[in-house]
Amino acid sequence: MSKQVIENLRTKFGDRVDIYEHNDRRAYVTVSNEDWMEVLRYMYEVEGGRLTTATGSDRSTGVELLYHFAIDADSIVVNIRTTLKKPFPKIESLTPHYYAADFIEREIFDFLGVEFEGHPDPRKILSSHDRPADFHPMRRDE
Amino acid sequence: MSTIIPIGPFHPVLEEPEYIQLYVDGETVEKAEIDLGRIHRGMELLAQEKTFDQDVFLVERICGICSASHSWAASLAMEDIVGVGPTDRARYLRTIVHELERLHSHMLWVGLAGHILGYWTVFMWGWKYREPVLDALEMITGNRQNYAWYKAGGVRRDVADDIWPEVVKIIDEFDKNNDILIGAFLDDPVIHGRLKGVGVLTKEEAIHYGCLGPTARGSGVDIDVRRDHDYGAYSEVDWNVITQPEGDCMAVSVVRLLEMKEACKIIKQCIAKLPGGPIATEIREFPRGEGIGHIEAPRGESFHFIRSNGTNMPERHKMRAPTFLNIPSFRPRVKGETISDAVLIFAIIDPCYSCTERMAVLDPTGQSLMTGKDLIKLSHEKTEKLKREY
Repeated sequence: MSKQVIENLRTKFGDRVDIYEHNDRRAYVTVSNEDWMEVLRYMYEVEGGRLTTATGSDRSTGVELLYHFAIDADSIVVNIRTTLKKPFPKIESLTPHYYAADFIEREIFDFLGVEFEGHPDPRKILSSHDRPADFHPMRRDE
Repeated sequence: MSTIIPIGPFHPVLEEPEYIQLYVDGETVEKAEIDLGRIHRGMELLAQEKTFDQDVFLVERICGICSASHSWAASLAMEDIVGVGPTDRARYLRTIVHELERLHSHMLWVGLAGHILGYWTVFMWGWKYREPVLDALEMITGNRQNYAWYKAGGVRRDVADDIWPEVVKIIDEFDKNNDILIGAFLDDPVIHGRLKGVGVLTKEEAIHYGCLGPTARGSGVDIDVRRDHDYGAYSEVDWNVITQPEGDCMAVSVVRLLEMKEACKIIKQCIAKLPGGPIATEIREFPRGEGIGHIEAPRGESFHFIRSNGTNMPERHKMRAPTFLNIPSFRPRVKGETISDAVLIFAIIDPCYSCTERMAVLDPTGQSLMTGKDLIKLSHEKTEKLKREY
């Protein structure tokens, strides 16, 4: 029996989400770039998910974003995944709707060069100030 | 027009680099800009070059205080990939060490808070009472810090049962001292004057900023990973989640002080119920897959995500310490406060910058700009220069 939040996601988004339930406490949801913001906002505003963090990784298919939402009432972590096209990955920012995403998205921009459209303060955050602007340490480009 | 007051990069109170710009109008703070990145060590990249076993030792070194938290979260993530859990004895042993860590971390913060307030008695009491907890940790794990105690599947070493009476004695003594400290802290009019109503973070702001741990609970947000996402032995012992609705510096302090009492309760119950049996489940290999481990560290939730590609090294290891999400809450807290309260407000989340940032300074080709020897040479030159001048 799936957790309530997974059923809700299935009912609301139907075929637009691809859900893999690793076990009853972890679920991975893959969405397209177009549905990305709608699903994220649904997770925060309707399901009350808490954005714990986001993982950005450079994979063979492109730059993958994985936003981890913890639903504390339901003891489950729901991970929303999408893949962005290289060499200039770009996606809408969650920060204007949910401030917790501010530092998280800046870190992904810093290390992977993902441009978050609509982010109020799109600067690098952790790497040194003299790092060249087009060099992103976690990218696996030639 | 506002004036900018720089604080840092070397904070006069906290022993870690941070850089904060306060925009002030007279004595009143209008806004604060926080600039991170001075202690970044590139651990996420480094973790991809270590085996799963070595990885646990690496993450232990993210923070000197939360050595148990990060290694436990990473172990949980690895267990999530494999699909096995720890043995019963391992769950209890892990919980005991982690709660001892919470005791000494919170007590360290109480001492620092006294230091910032200029209340030296609290500083000295706090650090004096903290010391026996480190002795207890040394008795159990062999180390005061960086315990090398957790591993995927369980713990590394077993403990002889005859040490527990001594640990219980230390905890009883600590609990008694903590009561005195709570009394001194909560009844003191000076502390009330400095903390009450200062740096208020409302519940809505705490949720919107994604605050964690005592920072969130001090604003009335009832979250605690120990209760909400069951792990360890927390569901088998009796304890309470402490929340305070006010959201000011006093409320956060009260949460920390009372949480220490709950931690004492948890440790004593775990010792009484400690089951026998093996200390670890054997894990022979890590299959392809993804795993998540998150636990309630003293400062809030520590979160680890690991992706395995079937080899003996993780393909991606994401680590997030609680301070990373707690730092932005400075902004609403400090607005409208005076400069004299600002330093206290920055310290109220119990910031840990080493946890938040994890790189060494490299040039684009990946070469280190400075080696350890260069830094020692620089330091010698500086000392010589100072000697000549004074």
